[in-house]
Amino acid sequence: MNSAVRHDRWRKQTHVMVAALGVVALAAGCGSGGGSEEGGDVTIEFMQWWEPELPDGEFAALIEQFEEENPGIDVELLSGPYASIKDQVIAGSASGTMPDVLGLDGAWVHDFATQGSIADLSAAMSDAGYDDSQLAAQVQVDGATRMIPVVNFAYPMFVNNSLLEQAGVEVPTTWSEFQSAAQAVVDSGSGASGFVAALGLEKPNGINIDILPWTWASGGTMLSEDGGPAVNNEDVTATIEFIKEMWDAGVIAPGGLTMAEQDKVEEFTNERVAMMVSSLAHINLIRENNPELDFSVVPLPVQDGYTGESGVRYASWGIGMSANTEHPEESWKLIEFLMSEGANGQLSALANGFPGNANVTPDFTESDPLFEDAFNIWQAGYPVSEFTGLPLADELMRVFDEELQQVLAEDKPIDEALGNIQTEWEGSF
Amino acid sequence: MAVLMALPIGMVVWFSLQNNVITNASPQFVGLEHYLEIFADAQFHAALKNTAVFVLASVAAHLVIGLAFAMLLNTRLLPHWVKTIFRTIFVLPWLLTVAIVAVLWRLILNPNGVFNYLLVSTGLIDAPREWLADPNLALFAVVLINIWCGYPFFMISLLAGLQGISADLYEAASVDGAGPIRAFFSITIPQLRPIIISMTLLDLIWTSHQFTLIWMTTGGGPLDRTELLSTYTYKLAFSQYMFSAASASAVVVLVISAVLAFAYVRHQRARD
Amino acid sequence: MTTTTVTRTSAAVEQSRPRRQLSTAGRRRIAVALTLAGLIVGALFAGAPVLWMVFSSLKANPEIFAYPPQLITENSSLAPYLAILNDSRQLRFFLNSYVVSLAVAGLTLLVAVHAAYAFSRYDFPGKSIINIAVISVQAVPPITLLIPYFGLVVALGLYNTYPGLILTYMVFTLPYAIIMMTGYFNTLPRELDEAARVDGTSSFGALWRILIPIAIPGMVSVGMYTFMIAWNEYLFALTLTRTDDMRTVPIGIQLLMGQHSYDWNQMMAMSVLGSLPVILLFIFFQRYFIGGMTSGSVKN
Repeated sequence: MNSAVRHDRWRKQTHVMVAALGVVALAAGCGSGGGSEEGGDVTIEFMQWWEPELPDGEFAALIEQFEEENPGIDVELLSGPYASIKDQVIAGSASGTMPDVLGLDGAWVHDFATQGSIADLSAAMSDAGYDDSQLAAQVQVDGATRMIPVVNFAYPMFVNNSLLEQAGVEVPTTWSEFQSAAQAVVDSGSGASGFVAALGLEKPNGINIDILPWTWASGGTMLSEDGGPAVNNEDVTATIEFIKEMWDAGVIAPGGLTMAEQDKVEEFTNERVAMMVSSLAHINLIRENNPELDFSVVPLPVQDGYTGESGVRYASWGIGMSANTEHPEESWKLIEFLMSEGANGQLSALANGFPGNANVTPDFTESDPLFEDAFNIWQAGYPVSEFTGLPLADELMRVFDEELQQVLAEDKPIDEALGNIQTEWEGSF
Repeated sequence: MAVLMALPIGMVVWFSLQNNVITNASPQFVGLEHYLEIFADAQFHAALKNTAVFVLASVAAHLVIGLAFAMLLNTRLLPHWVKTIFRTIFVLPWLLTVAIVAVLWRLILNPNGVFNYLLVSTGLIDAPREWLADPNLALFAVVLINIWCGYPFFMISLLAGLQGISADLYEAASVDGAGPIRAFFSITIPQLRPIIISMTLLDLIWTSHQFTLIWMTTGGGPLDRTELLSTYTYKLAFSQYMFSAASASAVVVLVISAVLAFAYVRHQRARD
Repeated sequence: MTTTTVTRTSAAVEQSRPRRQLSTAGRRRIAVALTLAGLIVGALFAGAPVLWMVFSSLKANPEIFAYPPQLITENSSLAPYLAILNDSRQLRFFLNSYVVSLAVAGLTLLVAVHAAYAFSRYDFPGKSIINIAVISVQAVPPITLLIPYFGLVVALGLYNTYPGLILTYMVFTLPYAIIMMTGYFNTLPRELDEAARVDGTSSFGALWRILIPIAIPGMVSVGMYTFMIAWNEYLFALTLTRTDDMRTVPIGIQLLMGQHSYDWNQMMAMSVLGSLPVILLFIFFQRYFIGGMTSGSVKN
């Protein structure tokens, strides 16, 4: 009995040991996993989502040019999917493995800056003696530049000319014209909807792309004079009433409450919606996917009676630097290179956006004629990007989106919804 | 291995008792404050309720469908090659990455997608539905998708279990005059019991974690109709940077699961 | 009187016998038909969406959204597949996925079989607690473990390495594997290995020579499952790797989902390509399910 027990214990231990063995073997294999540094050269890491967005090999070629011009600096491109870059930076920042240079979206800047993840670029610029007058814009938090927009994408209105023609309407320039045009498209029996809004909650940027641009185009704002939230003001209320009327009239494409930006563009490309607000980055995509499609880009219609300048909503590919990079000088050189006239012009042409360097004039000779139209719209109005640099910008949009969904789907009173958003926003600012 | 398992969990529990970790350089101990905070949050209640519906419906369907398919595949009535073909088809949903499952079903369930097309053209419904965007249908739709991609796991495990049941048992039962239904309840189910219980427990836990699928199909919307504890926790952590509250929400899930685990272990012991 | 009764009974028997034979044959035919019908309905449920995916992967991108939907369109071609097969970066994702998933499945099984044997056959102090812990460990939503985990992997120097990913996945697969293998071992009668040990075989011998051969169907299903977990995991794969030479297929698929548009056909093609070898693997391992049938009859 006694010996049997001891025997059992021995067996048990061997099993535990074998179980542990696999782990030890694994751990032993770990040592070989380390990276290899090249002698003398400084390697900086550049995390962004741009490389997969650009034509194959083009971005790498641009970076190679930088490496040739700057011997001794190697750039390692870490390219991630756009949807996950933000989470990666947060996780990286928490464990001290941030890349040296990183692509930024305006909506993230405030959060990363307050978390101390991204460096003060104002200081880097003065250290390097850089003349920042050539930069078209800088995104600042508490008076220090944290992000520089490298390429800007304007968001005009896209219209499907043949669907409008079929419905017997002109390109609308005011809200009421827009509503009747959208209704006419639906009534024309083509099966298409008048407008599309992608309000999915996975990425609640539909608020920033499909909803609030209507406010901005009519000179409105969602902010107070001192930059605080004023989302329950007349401008925004009128916009939501406008959207709600169209929703109730059934002229907005179905499925919008879970739609993403990418789905919206497919709806337009396949002629299932006549009009949408969208990024210039989509022109080439639409051309490629449906060469037959007859469409134009036009200014966003304004509130009836508004005659002032229109705000044009834009988004940027921004760039920033890690706060704890070991190679701030080399990192800055890379940023400087990407903002230089030559590289910046090239990059914005590749990306179909407008350059972040103010001295670069976009060259439209080889691009789609619609880009020139868009550039004219861009120049006639003034650029707006109200969410850029706001605290918890993604969360602000999410709160807005959740309330808007209730207004649309459950007839929640607009005043109440906007009041809720205002309260929530005040808590975040 | 134990360290790898336990340490991160210990950290999560520790996070949940402090005020904003990670984003705050010097967090303070705040005790149970975050727990009270989330218990008072209406969205947490909605998430809790949706999670319960989502998990129970998914797991029940996984079990029923998995068992039904496993029984069908275990038949002696059909030649071997026929079963091989069906077995392979039945396991297909399992082989796809969740991201692709989400994208695929978004295409299929799109208002202009093939599912609506088939239903409308066969006259089953008169107008296309917004399966994922309609507040009344969304939870049903994500449950459907989750059933589709989750049942093969039950099926395979149960199939393996069925192979282990001795044919003699069935012969003896049939000599005693038991029909197939009685044989099913008096032999098949009792023999499979350990597997069914283990798997139901695991599936309960896993389904309550399902994040990618929900996130990539509905993002927790429309309204809060498909908000689960997993999406709720994610939003707390990565949209609002409230890692402490997110950790608290995670610990709640941990406690619920630990209770389940405790019941399971007691059951195992009682069986011994 | 008696004679008539006898004749009547035998006549009744004679009449009813062919009828009953017919009815068993008929019943068998109905059973076959019902089983087949069930299998076909099931196959439609399981296979139709996958079939739709395969056809979509052949379409040109805009055709994927065409209404009314068509199975085969005029621009259907193998181009999306060629685009992936000609891209060395994508092929590297496949290689990484195989290395990681196979290692996870193999090592998990090796560790789990021993742990499960201990759980199933021995009683030791703290068994319940360890059991509860093993189950609860996976109860924490992985998303909240991301940051602590990331820190740990970086601290261990395993960031952006195969072992980092493999160890991480084993944390998630081991509890499952241990629980399932314990379940399988519990279904096998103790007399089997006890008899072997009375004959002087060590507990290792009993495990490897007696239990494991019988438990192969269970091991195959556990192995398949752990393989699939590692194969399909996205969040940790993305966070714990940094460069393309360590990344796995799910990230490759996600990289095709751009900021502004998706490469729908290539995403699906990549997913089909990724599944093909796994299907072959599955077909190969199927014979063990059948093998289990004969070995299962050893018991009792």
